Amino acid sequence: MTDSSRITPALSRRTFLADTGMGFTGLALSALLWQDGVGRAQEHTLPDGRPHFTPKAKSVIWLFMCGGVSHVESFDVKPELNRYAGRTIQDTPYRDVLRAEGRDVIAGNPVHGNRHTLMGLNTGYRRYGQSGLMVGDWWRHVGECADDIAVVRSLWTNHNDHGAQLTWHTGRHPREGAFPTIGSWINYGLGTLNQNLPQYVVLGTPTGDCCGGSWTHGAAYLGAEHAGVRLNVGAANPLPFVRPAAGLQPEEQAAELGLLGRLNRLSGIDYPDDPQLRARIRAYELAAGMQAAVPETLQLERETEATRRLYGINNGTTQNFGQLCLTARRLVERGVRFVQVFHGGGGGGAWDAHSGIRTNHGQLSAQVDLPIAGLLKDLKQRGLLDETLVVWGTEFGRTPGAQGDGRDHHPQGFCAWLAGGGIKRGVVHGATDELGFQALEPRHYITDIHATVLCQLGLDARRLEIPGRRRLDIDYGRPIREIMA
Amino acid sequence: MTRVVVAALVALGCAASAVHARPAHKHALAQYFGSFLPKKLNDCRTCHLPDPPGKTNEDEDKPHNSFGARLKATRIALRKMARSATIEASLEAILEEDADGDGVANRVEILTGHFPGDKGDRPTAAQIASAKTTLAEFARLKSGYPWRPFDSVQRPPAPRVQNAAWVRNPIDAFLAAEHESLGLKPRPEAAPEVLLRRVYLDLIGLPPTPDEIEAFRRDCASAKPQANGGVPDAAWQRVVDRLLNDPRHGERWGRHWMDVWRYSDWAGYGAQVRDSQPHIWRWRDWIIEALNTDKGYDRMVLEMLAGDEMAPEDPKALTGTGYLVRNWKLLSREKWLQDTVEHTAQAFLGVTLQCAKCHDHMYDPILQKDYYQFRAIFEPHNVRTDRVPGQPDIKIDGLPRVYDKDLTAKTLFFIRGDDRTPDKNQTIVPDVPDALGGRFPKVEPVTLPRPAVEPEKRDFVVRESLERSAAAVANAKSELAKWEKDGQAAKAKAAALALTAKESSHDALLKVLAAETLEDAGKINSETWKQAATAALVAQRKAAVANARYNLHVTEEKSAAQKPGTPQSKAASKALEAAKTALAKAAKDAQQPATTAYQKRSSATYPPQSTGRRLALAKWIASKDNPLTARVAVNHIWLRHFGQAIVPTVFDFGKNGRPPSHPALLDWLAAEFMNPTPPHPPLRKGGQGGVAWSMKHIHRLIVTSSAYRMASTPDAANTTLDRDNKYLWRFAPRRLEAEAVRDCIFYVAGKLDPAMGGPDIDYPLGLTAPRRSLYFRHAAEKEMEFLSIFDAASVTECYERKHSIIPQQALALVNSELTLKHARILARSIAGKTNGDATAFAKSAFQYVLSRQPTAAESAECITFLAEQTQRLREAKLPGGAGLTPDGALPAPDPALRARENLVHVLLNHHEFVTIR
Repeated sequence: MTDSSRITPALSRRTFLADTGMGFTGLALSALLWQDGVGRAQEHTLPDGRPHFTPKAKSVIWLFMCGGVSHVESFDVKPELNRYAGRTIQDTPYRDVLRAEGRDVIAGNPVHGNRHTLMGLNTGYRRYGQSGLMVGDWWRHVGECADDIAVVRSLWTNHNDHGAQLTWHTGRHPREGAFPTIGSWINYGLGTLNQNLPQYVVLGTPTGDCCGGSWTHGAAYLGAEHAGVRLNVGAANPLPFVRPAAGLQPEEQAAELGLLGRLNRLSGIDYPDDPQLRARIRAYELAAGMQAAVPETLQLERETEATRRLYGINNGTTQNFGQLCLTARRLVERGVRFVQVFHGGGGGGAWDAHSGIRTNHGQLSAQVDLPIAGLLKDLKQRGLLDETLVVWGTEFGRTPGAQGDGRDHHPQGFCAWLAGGGIKRGVVHGATDELGFQALEPRHYITDIHATVLCQLGLDARRLEIPGRRRLDIDYGRPIREIMA
Repeated sequence: MTRVVVAALVALGCAASAVHARPAHKHALAQYFGSFLPKKLNDCRTCHLPDPPGKTNEDEDKPHNSFGARLKATRIALRKMARSATIEASLEAILEEDADGDGVANRVEILTGHFPGDKGDRPTAAQIASAKTTLAEFARLKSGYPWRPFDSVQRPPAPRVQNAAWVRNPIDAFLAAEHESLGLKPRPEAAPEVLLRRVYLDLIGLPPTPDEIEAFRRDCASAKPQANGGVPDAAWQRVVDRLLNDPRHGERWGRHWMDVWRYSDWAGYGAQVRDSQPHIWRWRDWIIEALNTDKGYDRMVLEMLAGDEMAPEDPKALTGTGYLVRNWKLLSREKWLQDTVEHTAQAFLGVTLQCAKCHDHMYDPILQKDYYQFRAIFEPHNVRTDRVPGQPDIKIDGLPRVYDKDLTAKTLFFIRGDDRTPDKNQTIVPDVPDALGGRFPKVEPVTLPRPAVEPEKRDFVVRESLERSAAAVANAKSELAKWEKDGQAAKAKAAALALTAKESSHDALLKVLAAETLEDAGKINSETWKQAATAALVAQRKAAVANARYNLHVTEEKSAAQKPGTPQSKAASKALEAAKTALAKAAKDAQQPATTAYQKRSSATYPPQSTGRRLALAKWIASKDNPLTARVAVNHIWLRHFGQAIVPTVFDFGKNGRPPSHPALLDWLAAEFMNPTPPHPPLRKGGQGGVAWSMKHIHRLIVTSSAYRMASTPDAANTTLDRDNKYLWRFAPRRLEAEAVRDCIFYVAGKLDPAMGGPDIDYPLGLTAPRRSLYFRHAAEKEMEFLSIFDAASVTECYERKHSIIPQQALALVNSELTLKHARILARSIAGKTNGDATAFAKSAFQYVLSRQPTAAESAECITFLAEQTQRLREAKLPGGAGLTPDGALPAPDPALRARENLVHVLLNHHEFVTIR
């Protein structure tokens, strides 16, 4: 891992010392001087912790449902499926949707065969709010927030298996390997808002090793210091070794860490461009702060009963995900930039309803629907929704056609929604055809969501460049201006 | 380049005529031309006629245009000539032709963005002139060293370079040639103490001790000085040879190969085994021993894949099959075989065969049928646990191994890879993909010797049965003597009965074994056998009577001891009745006429043959004709010395992998691995034959090269040219692997237990038990947290370690009892030798922990810290322990000593402690 960091090649030994907060001989300077933007050497032109333009949002809560949520039964409801249930697509007036099948290289998974016999909706639906957004009954609590969210219904992805979970986060096909995730770009591009918590936190059980594993919250060539840090909500030890073993006193440890910082900086004199040393110095500073801040952040019992109820923490079904959502709010309150919340992680993902979708999606949505709505309402009532961008997504949709009593993977067209952080309220953008099969123009590859998020945070994806790292056009995506307020 | 191709396809993708293109064809085109291929040409129309208007051609075989037709004809011709008939090879053959007859060569048309099979589409003279640079650059690209991983290895000559003084062996020549062509300047040699620490950590996973550092310094001083003022070659070679022959080398590199070969201890829920097998640690020890004895890599492959067929009576070879045992799965035979196929192909061949499970491979010339033929090699095999000497209970210990269980097991071709839809029309025979080269040997069944078929008949099993039986007799004898001596008549009577029972059982065992021996010698039904078998039956009946009599006696005594009327008494009388009946039956049996129907010992019997399929595979892989085996292995070795592999996708040498940074060097290393150039004194201890396939030979070549000895310090000019150090202008610093971090903490404090091998240690003991990390249980959901934090191997697949740097690692080193305790132990030991001298303490602590002396600035920092921290602790009046506990569980009561403990604790958290520089 000799991956590049923010350092330009021309960086001198003198610059390094200045940059790590020491000055040329200033061993006594506080380690905190290394904070972004302060004490940074002049010739540094790469991300300096400031946005490229005025941001609309400060933080992101990124909710990800692992396994593939049915778009036609959530936020892109297709009543025509009830009308033509049991008939093949060829046998409907919409047979033309098949003509374009495979035009994005990726068609349905050939292992699974094609699912062209339509299945009716497995849940009811109705319209919500003034916007009249149509939402499946599995998502009725989020439906109540219809006037706060912007749904994007014309997404497509480039992978037809659960490796698409990685694609959702990096924009790249899993065979291409690890690339920086959206969270790590934000971590890299923006300065921190706090001194004692990571900028990028991961909650819940992430994607399984089959489908991207830790790459879905990694930073690849941006360097591991920009990767997500997992916190175990509800565990006695939310983070391993977060508490000192017996016998080490706080002031004793503080003095040790002071010496360690000075010795590590001295060890870097001959290694002015060493991203590993930099990352280690940072890791120790952060670790010191986290010792106190992490346990405090996770004290959900400090919240009022009303708040806890809003997230469903009082109820066995919603408790787990409710805790994650509430923790996410507490983290952004404390200045964490990007909180990535997984639901149904491990293996291919819980939402992967190849069979029994009625039970599967029924039970899983019951776990998350109320807590997500609670999060939106809570952020709104605290005035945090304006500066917090909430994104809800999944790796792909599910086939309009039946696979027994389930639905198969569907990368050709699916949906996600965004809320807060300068996003328009109560709008729908883009569409799939009447069967929910193909995304229609304007279609959006998933990196368009990334570009939109970066844009709201005041970052231009194209200006987050690493010299010598070629990015592709499709990596940058295009911000979806139509949903920006 | 691959990344570009995939993304280009994704971005492109929409032209209607491209719908039915076989992506593989377009990939081949893109692969050959790389970034030189204009977008317009990445299209079906390059080779095929456009579809008639209003109609899309649904056929797989769209009609060719003149270029496509010529390409196809060339492929057929090449195939007939038994030459490589890939699309690339065919392209290459016809590039200078003019397929459409428009007067412009195919190559020029393609590079200028015109269809070579469309006469109406040709570049103008001006276009050709302006493409001059492009054409020249493409020519340069194609004149470079060709990377043909599926062709057999040919040794390229080492290039001549200007910087000849830098070249210690051909590795350096290949690297220097790249340096010179790119304008890179290799970094000078690293400082001696940096080098010493580097090679120790690299080869044995532990740092040099202060004594070893001093010995090395003296050796360098006395050896002939080096022209560049660096470490003298003779001294360096002595260190390298010593470390390569150190048994800890096998532990260090054993863990590396355990990553590649997917080592996993058994996993499951409760006592239920679901993955891998108990006692698989024997295979882990096999790996360590194989590396330490420098067993040839070819032999390792043979033993891992087919030890049971190659040497069915050799427990070591059988242990090697742990490689296959590890894939065992309780819940799915499908997944078990799938993993076996996928990872055998990836680990040994660097081929993603698994991609062909559902369809022909999209990138490499591997058919779907090839996948199932490869699978057929493993179809008959299964897993069993054999008894090992000294332990009759295989639950407690045993040897897990593979064998062919179902010799006629059929492999089915699954349509689209779905095991619910087998294709009944396809016959699958064991074979390997043709495209991977080499010659797959004829599969010949192996006739197994008796010990493999009936493992209970192995000598040691018989011997141990006899020993146990004889010991029981001896026991009974001394028991009887004791009671007689003490004059306890009742107990003596019971002991006498017991003795008779044991003696008669022993006698029966002897006679049974005699009869069995005759049977095994094929003398069944002979007169001798009849006599022996009859004698065995008589002895068994006699033993039955003696045992029943003894049992009755014991039961009588128990019954007499019960209070009448109690439930216990009732049960006792019932038992008494049963014992009486048993004796009566035994006595009655003994009266029957004697026959030859004696009762044999219980013994599992396995098929007398093995299919020989795996042996054929192993021979094919472990052959010098196999183009991939050596390339893949040396690439893995290179990765772990330099932190970056030559082919970055170590598990994929195919077209979807990433191209090598130094293809010629990799080929040279592969050739050298298989056919070492003399003179190289063998490093193999007790090995036989030459040093072909010697890993130690490759290790030594690498670590004695100038490249390996470069400093890891940066250089601005080089960084501008090659930011990622792809062309190795410096040694790249990297974080130590999880196991090494943990081992080093114990080791520098003098507490690492040097014991080698043995059963896996329970993983929660990881912070306290001082054994090396690779001996702890490592399986799904049974992983040591400390190791996981430092990116320990994923048990499902780990062809390359990650080297993250995260705050959780800082917390683990700052807050764990592991570092605190060992800091205290080491600090007290150093303090005992430095008598309150802070300067000497700091110097010694640096040497122990970081293998070097502190600089003046570092020393000053430490001295100031010791003074201030002592003062701080004194003022704080911290509650210290009553005295010094030897395990370092509590801090020292004396503030000055406690400050020293703090200093060592800081050094255990130092960047350099966990870094190879």
